[in-house]
Amino acid sequence: MVSRNGLICWKTLQSGCIRSTNPVNVTISRRLCASSQICQNNWVQAVSNAEKIVGLPTPFLSLRSEAIDEISNIAVYLKKLIGTGHPLLATAKNLVYSQDKTNQTRGLLVLLVSKAAKIDQTQDILPKQRTLGEITDLVHAAHLIHTGVINLNTPNESLEMGNKMAVLCGDFLLARSCVLLANLQNLKVVELIAQAISDFSTAEFIDIVANETDSALDRWRHQSKLRYGTLLAHACQSSLILGDNVELVEFGKYFGLEIALAWQANNEIQSYKNAKEKADHVLFKLFPPGTPFEEVISNFQAVRDTHVDAALQMLSEFPKNDASLALCNIARALKY
Amino acid sequence: MLRIASKHLCKGYSRVPLLSKRKTLKQLHCHQFQTGVPSVTSLATAISTKNKELREDSLVRQDVEDVYEGIREALTDTQPLLVPVAQYYFGGDGKAIRPVITLCWAKAVNYQLGKQTYRRLIQDQKRVCQVLEMIHAAGLYHDDVIDNAESRRSRPSINNVWGIKKSILAGDFVLGRSMRIIAEINNEDVSILLNTMIDHIVIGEIMQLSAGATEEERFAHYVDKTFKKTASLLAHSCQAVSVLSGADSDVQAMGFTLGRQLGMAFQLVDDILDFSATSAQLGKAAAVDLTQGLANAPVLFAAQQFPELNPMIARRFKEPGDVETAFQLILQSDGMNKTKELATEYCDDAVKQIAQLSSSPYQQFLFTITHKLLNRIK
Repeated sequence: MVSRNGLICWKTLQSGCIRSTNPVNVTISRRLCASSQICQNNWVQAVSNAEKIVGLPTPFLSLRSEAIDEISNIAVYLKKLIGTGHPLLATAKNLVYSQDKTNQTRGLLVLLVSKAAKIDQTQDILPKQRTLGEITDLVHAAHLIHTGVINLNTPNESLEMGNKMAVLCGDFLLARSCVLLANLQNLKVVELIAQAISDFSTAEFIDIVANETDSALDRWRHQSKLRYGTLLAHACQSSLILGDNVELVEFGKYFGLEIALAWQANNEIQSYKNAKEKADHVLFKLFPPGTPFEEVISNFQAVRDTHVDAALQMLSEFPKNDASLALCNIARALKY
Repeated sequence: MLRIASKHLCKGYSRVPLLSKRKTLKQLHCHQFQTGVPSVTSLATAISTKNKELREDSLVRQDVEDVYEGIREALTDTQPLLVPVAQYYFGGDGKAIRPVITLCWAKAVNYQLGKQTYRRLIQDQKRVCQVLEMIHAAGLYHDDVIDNAESRRSRPSINNVWGIKKSILAGDFVLGRSMRIIAEINNEDVSILLNTMIDHIVIGEIMQLSAGATEEERFAHYVDKTFKKTASLLAHSCQAVSVLSGADSDVQAMGFTLGRQLGMAFQLVDDILDFSATSAQLGKAAAVDLTQGLANAPVLFAAQQFPELNPMIARRFKEPGDVETAFQLILQSDGMNKTKELATEYCDDAVKQIAQLSSSPYQQFLFTITHKLLNRIK
């Protein structure tokens, strides 16, 4: 399903990062770009090591065995999207092939939390916990796909088709999640993941504009919590419920929340560094206009770091073992 | 063609848990009918008077209003910008046929088991209806985006008012809230039934991307798709309320079958109206299915008479002039009559399910509903 075009675009993007596009800030952005490469490498390393501890997550395992007809129907239409530039293709490609290992890291985090909580490390992760990891990745993928649609002002047949496929693909993943959830036979978990689904859809309807009570930064936090935080928090919480690790449930939940916020903050920083039009980026809007580029970056890095530290603090409550150590490494890899 | 449909009539849905035995049509026919009305056509002789209509309506009216009130509550506790989008299709001007049928069946079963006053039970059954309507609405939000619809229920469609992205996410929001209500019902079996329902709707929508290659395949595909997309909602809801009532697997099967047959009949009548009703009556554009490239029941029946429809079906009426030509051919054919016959068969089977219940005002209302469903004009 990967198009040559898509693969080429991705490679150009990567190398474009090193080659600065803005001649004025050439030295600064090159240094920052290079450091973002190192940061990315740390992350990839930490995640690869973690995969060895809990095994590769299996985000689309159930899809491969059931619902084959439906997938082939969808695949036929997806092929027609090649060359249209619809976001769905890029999203789908990233979900299947991800060079920086982000497509299944959420599931991986859930598996790691499940493993880290076990006092007896010879105990394996429960099948239900693995399913929960799968559900986490499915729901996140559905979110990405559903938000990757284009509001069209003028009719455009191929982009319309892309939107149509985006709705169907996202729905398909959500429906699979529902079925898997029901089979977990735990209604509390159903409620928690349902909340995550509601929350990510709510995030779209929030304006990141400061008002009397909240700063723009607070609003960003609130939106990111809804968009990314609730899913990871509730998934970690659910996994610990399924594993009967009652005393760690709250810590797991807040770990999930903090790591999600830290991760998102880091993504914003990296994308801001690479952004062509700084003024369009969300970070630009979070600080007073006229704030210099380095100040925006360092201020937001501080924000990111508070969340990383909070995540590490939650992790300190877990037993010391390979899995919890791997989680610490992943969290620290976000700090640069 | 009718034979294939009848095969699907008798076939119980194999993936349904909790149902042990499935009675054949012949066995069902042997039961003593207390009301002596074995077919929906003979219901026509017991036409409702205005008073009877009002009386029957009042049986479930308050509960249906409670259902919608509950839905509005569940969708209010969120971002102010999201509330009007999420509540857009819950204006109360829809037909509410699904909750009416489900609640009526629920009450009839409760009555049979002597549980008509159990408050907690009725609360939970109303929750099933809330979930049912919310999932249906979420499906409509997404459908309208997919079909690029202009209007629905005589109002601009949701995508026209708020754009695509917000409509899709509002649908997801409603889905999330409905799943929360499923958890509130606190019954594992019901949770499995209702989550299966969600799966079916989506699969049904995806099934519309393709059709069968041969005539037989196409019809089987159409029946399966219609079950998943439309009838499954009612089937699983009726079964779910039976489960909550503590009914045995036979009554659960009756509920499932009733919901299924009424759902199928409802869609078939919809298909007929797609051709026969004018846009003004329907509140949305007519011949929508054709313009979407879909071959519904009248089209498939007409293709038996006019084989020139087959290549048009295969290319999804894409070529210029296809939609108009097909429209004319279908009006000329007996496709709509055959569809009506099939819908009547489904309603007959629905009546057989209803007739097995103890005699009650709810049972009578279900007969009325079945008759009205078959003969509606919008």
